[in-house]
Amino acid sequence: MDGLKAALVLFVAALFQLAVLTEYNPFRASSIVLVALLSVALLRGSIFGALAGFGTGLLLDTATLGTLGVTSLLLSVAGFWIGRYGETTARDRFHAPFLSVAVVTLLYSYGQLALRFVLGESAPAGLVTHGLLLGLFLNLLLTLPVYALIRRLFPPLDLGDRVREVRLLG
Amino acid sequence: MPRNRTVRFAVLGSSVQRAAASGHPSSRSSALKRRIIVGGLVLLSLVLITVSFRSSALDGAQGTAASILRPFEVAADRVSRPFRDAAGWLHGLANAKAENKKLRLQVQTLQQQRIHDESAVQENVQLRAQLGYHGPPSIANFRRVSAAVLVNPQSAIDESITIAAGSHDGVASGDVVITAQGLVGTVDKAWGSQSRVTLLTDSQSAVTSTDLTSRAAVGIVRRGGGGSDVLIFDLVPKARYVALDDTVITAGSIGKGALPSMFPGGIPVGTVSSTSENDINTYKTIQVEPFVNFATLQSVIVLVPRR
Repeated sequence: MDGLKAALVLFVAALFQLAVLTEYNPFRASSIVLVALLSVALLRGSIFGALAGFGTGLLLDTATLGTLGVTSLLLSVAGFWIGRYGETTARDRFHAPFLSVAVVTLLYSYGQLALRFVLGESAPAGLVTHGLLLGLFLNLLLTLPVYALIRRLFPPLDLGDRVREVRLLG
Repeated sequence: MPRNRTVRFAVLGSSVQRAAASGHPSSRSSALKRRIIVGGLVLLSLVLITVSFRSSALDGAQGTAASILRPFEVAADRVSRPFRDAAGWLHGLANAKAENKKLRLQVQTLQQQRIHDESAVQENVQLRAQLGYHGPPSIANFRRVSAAVLVNPQSAIDESITIAAGSHDGVASGDVVITAQGLVGTVDKAWGSQSRVTLLTDSQSAVTSTDLTSRAAVGIVRRGGGGSDVLIFDLVPKARYVALDDTVITAGSIGKGALPSMFPGGIPVGTVSSTSENDINTYKTIQVEPFVNFATLQSVIVLVPRR
């Protein structure tokens, strides 16, 4: 059931990104898909995050007729990593979604740049760096409503359901 | 260090196995399973990148999938259109007074210009007919395919758009894309009913251009260096005169070289926004403000050669 809900949420987010946000110049720097994916990954864990990231990336690459796999690779890794963060350190921390979005926005931008460079496409690092602050600000602005909405759709699981691996130090 | 999968109570010194949890697939999975899944996804992504980049084996599937997604994109666009129109209306309202004054002045100038141009065009047609002159290819030699823009550039570094016309409409890789305002770019790849267009602002795009009022000033319009989004009119010799606000158009093929320009001559590109020169550079430094707003394209025209 969670899988179906996540697919629907991320599909709508991708459509919103493709058809609405990119129409307005300042919002081209933001990514509601990334924010929605990270919110889902934080609430449902690493494997869920990685699979959701792969599917969403494939959807975006298909819709933009881009090189298949590029966005999938970046979003799979982002979903997995933030999912793992959600399973371990980020539990019940208010700042977790904001921190996740800030860090991943930064790494996603430069990851995308690196992949474009490897594929021989234009990779203007200056342009990315120049637009990064605006992108970061807009993504953080989107985080509060998007995370609140996704948290209602994917209520946090009990602590017992989430933690199984415990290692005591000392 | 191996993971200890038990909760150890320090006081009792005994280990307690936590009861199997239900509901969270990821946490129930072992670390190995988790790594296998993410490793598999990364590997699959790399395979997709390799196949998609090196061959056209996935083009058919990608084109079909994109066609399936198209109605959803159109629906989302229609839903958002009233809001976009409202935003545009508000923006227009704020600038209406100043714009009205500017446009009235422009209309007066253009009316005078039109009379001169019309007589020049008629004279040109008569002289061409008398001489039996066959000029270089112009826009008139191409079939026009109008197409809606389905997807605008996705990020600051993305300089491509997706349009709703493909190989079924005769569009092919390399075809020139324009709007009523001016040059947009070229078709990078064409699928059945959609194509990807590389914009003129991409660092790999360039077009041979000339100054409309000083035809001897020929150079290449391409994206400027660094992180800026500005076009530059490069390789124009210092001896040539280029003034501010001059119109830059595509030059078409110059001479009879082995590699003719893929752009027909006479397509408006932009206006000269700054020009300078120094002792170090061999050429003039000219910046061009494009006529087309690449960020908010709604529809384009593909120039398909009459084959």
